[in-house]
Amino acid sequence: MPTLPGTVLIGLSFGIGTAAYNSSSNILFITLSLLLACLILSGVLSWLNLRRVTWRLQFAPPLRVGHDATVALELRNGKSFLPTYGLWFEFAARDLATTKTHEAPESTITGRGLDVRAMLAQAEKAEQRRRLPLVGRLDPQGEGRVEWVLKPEKRGRMRVGLVSVGSLFPFGFLRKEIGTELLSEAIVWPAPIEYRRMGVATARRVAGGERVARAGLGGDLFALRRYAVGDSHRLIHWKASARTGQLLVRQLAAESAEGYSLWLRTDAGMWPHPEQFEILVSFVATLAEDLFRTGRLLGVAIDGEPPVAVRRVHDLELFLDKLAVLQPAAEAIAPEGVADDGSKPHAVARRHVMTFAPNGALGVAAYVDGEQAALT
Amino acid sequence: MASISPRRPQLTFEELLQVRWLLGGALTLLALWTVFYMDIEAWTLMGLATAVTVAVLVWPTLPSHLPGWVHTAAFPAIVAFFAADLWLYTEVLPAMVRLDVLLLLYRNVGYRQRRDDLQVVVLGLFLIVVAGVLTVSLAFAAQILIYTGIALAFLLTLTLSEAAATTRPPVSAPPAGPPAWATQVQWRQLFRRVTAVADWRVVLTGGLLFVGVVLISALLFLAIPRFQLENSMFLDRLISKRSKSGFSDTIRIGEVTDIQQDTSVALSVDVTDRAQIPAAPYWRMLVLDQYDNGTFKFSAGLRRELSGPRTTSVLRGEAKPRLGEPVFWTFYFESGVSRYLPLLGHFEELRFREAQNFRFATTLGVLELREEPVTMTAYRVEGFNPGPTLPDPVFAQRWRNRERPATTYWTPQTRTLTGETDRATLTRLMREAAGERAVPATEFANRAKAWLRQRHDYTLSPRIPPGDGDPLVRWMASREAGHCELFAGSFVLLARSAGFPARVATGFRGGTWNAYSNNFTIRNSDAHAWAEIFDEVSGSWLRADPLEAPTNARAEETRGEASLAARMDRSWSARLDSLRVFWYRRIVNFDQRSQADTMKALKTATEDSGRRARLALEDTMRRLKEWFSSPWDAKRLAGICAFVAAIAGMHWVWREFGRGYWRRMRTPRRGTRAPDPIRDEAGRWLARLAEAELAATESRDLAVREIGVGAPPVIGDLQRLRFGSRATWPPPERVFRAARQALRESRRRAKVRR
Repeated sequence: MPTLPGTVLIGLSFGIGTAAYNSSSNILFITLSLLLACLILSGVLSWLNLRRVTWRLQFAPPLRVGHDATVALELRNGKSFLPTYGLWFEFAARDLATTKTHEAPESTITGRGLDVRAMLAQAEKAEQRRRLPLVGRLDPQGEGRVEWVLKPEKRGRMRVGLVSVGSLFPFGFLRKEIGTELLSEAIVWPAPIEYRRMGVATARRVAGGERVARAGLGGDLFALRRYAVGDSHRLIHWKASARTGQLLVRQLAAESAEGYSLWLRTDAGMWPHPEQFEILVSFVATLAEDLFRTGRLLGVAIDGEPPVAVRRVHDLELFLDKLAVLQPAAEAIAPEGVADDGSKPHAVARRHVMTFAPNGALGVAAYVDGEQAALT
Repeated sequence: MASISPRRPQLTFEELLQVRWLLGGALTLLALWTVFYMDIEAWTLMGLATAVTVAVLVWPTLPSHLPGWVHTAAFPAIVAFFAADLWLYTEVLPAMVRLDVLLLLYRNVGYRQRRDDLQVVVLGLFLIVVAGVLTVSLAFAAQILIYTGIALAFLLTLTLSEAAATTRPPVSAPPAGPPAWATQVQWRQLFRRVTAVADWRVVLTGGLLFVGVVLISALLFLAIPRFQLENSMFLDRLISKRSKSGFSDTIRIGEVTDIQQDTSVALSVDVTDRAQIPAAPYWRMLVLDQYDNGTFKFSAGLRRELSGPRTTSVLRGEAKPRLGEPVFWTFYFESGVSRYLPLLGHFEELRFREAQNFRFATTLGVLELREEPVTMTAYRVEGFNPGPTLPDPVFAQRWRNRERPATTYWTPQTRTLTGETDRATLTRLMREAAGERAVPATEFANRAKAWLRQRHDYTLSPRIPPGDGDPLVRWMASREAGHCELFAGSFVLLARSAGFPARVATGFRGGTWNAYSNNFTIRNSDAHAWAEIFDEVSGSWLRADPLEAPTNARAEETRGEASLAARMDRSWSARLDSLRVFWYRRIVNFDQRSQADTMKALKTATEDSGRRARLALEDTMRRLKEWFSSPWDAKRLAGICAFVAAIAGMHWVWREFGRGYWRRMRTPRRGTRAPDPIRDEAGRWLARLAEAELAATESRDLAVREIGVGAPPVIGDLQRLRFGSRATWPPPERVFRAARQALRESRRRAKVRR
């Protein structure tokens, strides 16, 4: 695509060419030839500039609403001695939940103009785009990095990708853009939310209550597991490691056995306001993380699904992944933990089950065994 | 946000802006200086713009001192200037040139944005192209090439600085003072920085690419299809012509000699057949018949002989077509010499490169352009009839009927002096020169020329004795030396006194043969005046040059190589002139026919090359066959052995010295992290050895163990070359040799195991 200077150059070439033919002046033919040769040189240099330049998209999901996430593009110039200049990279992040794939696409011919514009505006709003330049020179055999700091605005699935790589190099006559298929999907967890704790449920201790063995930061040995990067070396169980021939670390049991199970009901009848539902999801996610951090999260359940024990970070992350894509259920679920088949979820069967209910127009309240435990 | 791992230093954003400022100034200066050779009244503006541009280049903070109202008033002021210029001078092109210079000046008194920089490029290009079109000068070629190179570098810097600017925080309001880059300018330091940043390989590649641009543009120039639209130049109509010529239709005695002081080239002539070149060519431009008190004029009577005016590119002449290959004379007539074109005599056809408005008199052999050409005028003449005579049957007929009452349009060609004293002196001198008896025109011419040569010497600084009467008669009566005009004018007066029609012809005589470009070069210093006398017997005008050496008269018809040998010019100026001729021949005069000729030549050259290659191959094969089939002896065997040994020796030298030298050449300088060929080579050997060990052992673990623990010492050396400090390196060549042996050993063990 010619840029403004490129258009000027092409216009000049046309003008000079016309004058050259009109006057048979070889001076003008020379000028025309030089201008055309400069256009050819521009194309060749642009091709050389992008030749053997490779890039790799890198970012570490999951993302979190309202938190900065870095999308990095690692560059490498594989040329022997020619550097690369003046590239730009067009990034895009699109919320996949807004794409209604189940609906038949409407033709823009039949669609009303206002609707089409509204759809386009919505699609544009659902997408974050950013063009980032490569500043300076990417040396031959050199590597570089371009980083895009992205701040997701909605929970759900998000597709992050490098849309195109472009350049005005060398003379700014032509805009060269290469479309790329470098895409990566990520889950955006709900945003953390501030809430108020009510001291009732958390202060009460139940003597002789149910004890659930789970990993924690206590002093007793809970289990042995394989060493993972990041584990403290002090936790390595040397004797077991020597016996098995592989590094094993001790997993300690939690100090206390008290904890809570979260049970989240999502029926639309209960949560008619989408904003309130979003607050609910963020509240649940925040509570789950806080409880897990203090070692008091026993398990989680959503609607009629069987409860999942949360022993490891991975379990928590799976729950947050579910929360990220959670939508209000169209049908009402069985009341008070009774599933459609009549069985009670395990979480409900246990004590210290935290449930949630609307609190006013936009608020959400958490209840433990019927008592209010926290408010947003 | 972006980061890269720089190995060489990079120019900062401010430094890029400084380079951009510098290149913009250089472009401006280069474009402004076209005014030097454009002959347009813009010198004052050009001087002012040059001074300002140089000043802001040296002190880039200067534009910040300019009050704001200047920028506010600039556009209306420039428009008003242009309108006033057009109104006062009514010349479009000079006004546009002055406007362009003014805009360039304004663009240099402020800090330019991207849009302004692009304007500078376009404005500069306009000036250079206009100058090129108006002058068709060789300087245009040099200037457009330099301009293209700088403009490309400028645009490159513009692109890079704009890319760098996108990452900088936006400035909410323009700062009042100069920008940061302008306050930090230190050109010497910047030059050092640019030198440090530049990689010679990149610079070399850039240079090669620029040569490629020139070659591609040359190819495009040759390949662009041409159509002859028969239109003349459009730009030269927008400018009034001012004659700089000494060859006008009125010449005072001494003016031709003034032209001789100028040694610049006036005319270059290409001839397709050297044999047709006369020994003493007279490039005739104008005849002057009316004489009055030391001034010869092209009389109104003779002027009526000129036909036209007409505008065309082809003119048919009077000469009859001759058998044989046609001979073409291509003239490149410089601007500022005259609007009368030099010719050697009658011709068959004259063709201009582009249509011209002109008048032509067949009988006079004079071609007058309507306007003084401001560019080089190219025309090609076919079938010249160069010689000392110019047939004029019309005048002959009228001369035969001179006794009848008729028009007196030819009177000036026979008119002598009006003063009694002068006429009496002239008659006396004529009789002294030619004798009492009437003689034919040829005999009279010979006698009068001899008399004049015997009586006067030649000088470029003549002295005409003071006194009353006609200056020519006074000089003739004296024994003072004189120049060509005095000789020619005296001859004309003598001939007319004897009753022969005569006139002065002006133009050039002789010239040099450029040994490099094989063309005739005629300089202004070859300007000459001679006489023509009418010979009633042949009905022709005879050339009578009193300054012509008598011996040359016999050699008048001598043509070809022998005559050129004496005129051969191999000086340095001839080399420069050959460039100019090349420019005229191949560029300026390139047309549809030249294009077809080039294509034919290319086709012929390709076919010839193919034929020669095929013949050479056949010849080589035949010799090879003969060589193999000839009897073998010890001498031949020794020769083969010597050849093989030489190849092996070269290979050894390469391995021992050349390859190492090549690797050292490719090794980066200290302190850089560019790829190291020795480390790379060591890495490759390690990989090969690992693969070979893997193939030779049963498991990868074993291979790794053998490589790592029980490996030969070469592994350690290779690892040291690959990863170790340069100071601890063993000799790389020795290590690589050992690695080669280890690889062979591993492969042998693998075979044994299988």
